[in-house]
Amino acid sequence: MNLIDIRNLSIKLQTSTKPIFAVDRVNLTMKEGEVRGLVGESGSGKSLLAQAIVGVLDEKWAVDADRFHWRGNDLMRLSAEERKAIISKDVAMIFQEPMACLDPTTTIGEQLEEAVDVEQLTGYFWQKRQQRKLAAINLLHKVGIKQHEVCVKSFPHQLTDALCQRVMIAMALARRPMLLIADEPTAAMESTNQGQIFRLLASLNQLKNMSILLISHDLENVTHWTNTITVMYSGQFVEAGTTEQIFNQPYHPYTRALVDSSPKANRMIPNKSRLMTLPGSIPTLQHLPIGCRLGPRCPRAQQKCVHAPKIKNFHSHQVSCHFPLKDNYS
Amino acid sequence: MSDVLLQVSNLSKTYKDKNYWFNRKCVTALEPLSFDIMAHKTLAIVGETGSGKSTVAKLLVGAELPSTGHIRLNGQSLEPGNFKQRCQHVRMIFQDSGTTLNPSLTIEQLLDEPLQLNTNLNETERHQLIRETLQKVGLLAEHMSFYPHMFSGGQKQRISLARAIILKPQVIILDEALASLDPSLRSQMINLLLDLQQQMGLAFILISHNLGIVRHFSDEMMVLSKGEVLEFGKTADILQKPKHKYTKRLIMSQRFQLLHR
Repeated sequence: MNLIDIRNLSIKLQTSTKPIFAVDRVNLTMKEGEVRGLVGESGSGKSLLAQAIVGVLDEKWAVDADRFHWRGNDLMRLSAEERKAIISKDVAMIFQEPMACLDPTTTIGEQLEEAVDVEQLTGYFWQKRQQRKLAAINLLHKVGIKQHEVCVKSFPHQLTDALCQRVMIAMALARRPMLLIADEPTAAMESTNQGQIFRLLASLNQLKNMSILLISHDLENVTHWTNTITVMYSGQFVEAGTTEQIFNQPYHPYTRALVDSSPKANRMIPNKSRLMTLPGSIPTLQHLPIGCRLGPRCPRAQQKCVHAPKIKNFHSHQVSCHFPLKDNYS
Repeated sequence: MSDVLLQVSNLSKTYKDKNYWFNRKCVTALEPLSFDIMAHKTLAIVGETGSGKSTVAKLLVGAELPSTGHIRLNGQSLEPGNFKQRCQHVRMIFQDSGTTLNPSLTIEQLLDEPLQLNTNLNETERHQLIRETLQKVGLLAEHMSFYPHMFSGGQKQRISLARAIILKPQVIILDEALASLDPSLRSQMINLLLDLQQQMGLAFILISHNLGIVRHFSDEMMVLSKGEVLEFGKTADILQKPKHKYTKRLIMSQRFQLLHR
């Protein structure tokens, strides 16, 4: 069964003149135990999509979708309370800049104890305090922090970035979620620490069969850790498929450009040669092009591109383009 | 093909703890290091936080005074206090272009400032030079009357680049200048930098932790850890046959990103 199944989700910002579609008809499906990468540059609406799934968007954003199912339950039909009950039990989210997300005025131990689920504690009320402490320490062990005594007593600023991110993951694990949404968990981190965090997430995925939605702006960083990837551009769905399909045979011109533009991915290119790029820059929300939003920058754009393309499906490799690069690979 | 442009010998930096009068503690940020850069070449400096790579940048632009050592540009010694000479020839681009541009000045005023302070050009000449420089970095002359907040991240980075090259410097220091950009803008920026290097014969000092960019962009690289130089040599040699354990670990930690299944 699909864990999450989203069809044509739109998020619009109501302005005085006309609504702006920050996210325009995006599809996302995840199976249980899957690691899916959600890739897009800044302003592509990937964080908005994640926030819409968790349901923490402000009132000014209006979310609507043709289908928004969580394990078979239609979330759009539930009341806010019911929805919150389901989501808070099964979905957890971690953010970038872990230092900024932890409370700087209380110790790590107190913050972790606060996150521990009451229902998991058994026994009489005088035992609960001790159990809560043990549960917090257990959580720290789960994320690979061995010196729990030091860690529990320290404040966030006394720990390194990678340790803080581990603590954030520990908090997210407190309610034993089925889906962990990681919103750029390693941004502004050293590469050695990045590896640690990704390895931890991968081991959680394998040991606990936890699904992970890994959000990143850089395609090359996530390819090693994901099974499937969804690419977004400027609020529109671009391409989805397995990691191999996206990385080795991208059908969409935008994905092709992303893969080609990274100096790391194609190591064959000679030193100091020009890299392949798309002209222009990412459009702002106020000036979105009509139809396919890549249109003005796309090398293959034709007249048809002023209408938004329908999603085409080639063996579970979905692409949203009038002129996919399918024939280039044979 | 050309002689040595920037010659750094025996440069080091120690910070003194001012709290204790007796028994003063010294923190060594940078052990003595020496290197040369030619025109048209790029030196990459790689290391973790606290490895002293930003200290090198600060010493070279003159934001900090070196404890020992000399910096020579074209054979001329760069004096610690002589900013006029140094500002002309050594320029720096910072990591976060959004916060390094003064939000209350237009682009023309921003770019005019270094010209007024360092050159004797009159107003029309300055205006002309700003116009040319903006075109060189791929912006339009109309952008002169814009304010920094009206630009996107990539364009802001181009403005910082324009501010760096407007005095026709010989050395530009890029302190993580490419790290915060989106991938497609980053490759545009790399192309632009490479073009400028060919046209103007600039020497770059690239401070980065992205080995992919380092491999693509630089001729020589230096690996720093805790203020010490671990390895120094041709980029291709070091990345293929790292000698030091630390360098190997650094390459391995990014290697998994290179391999795809």
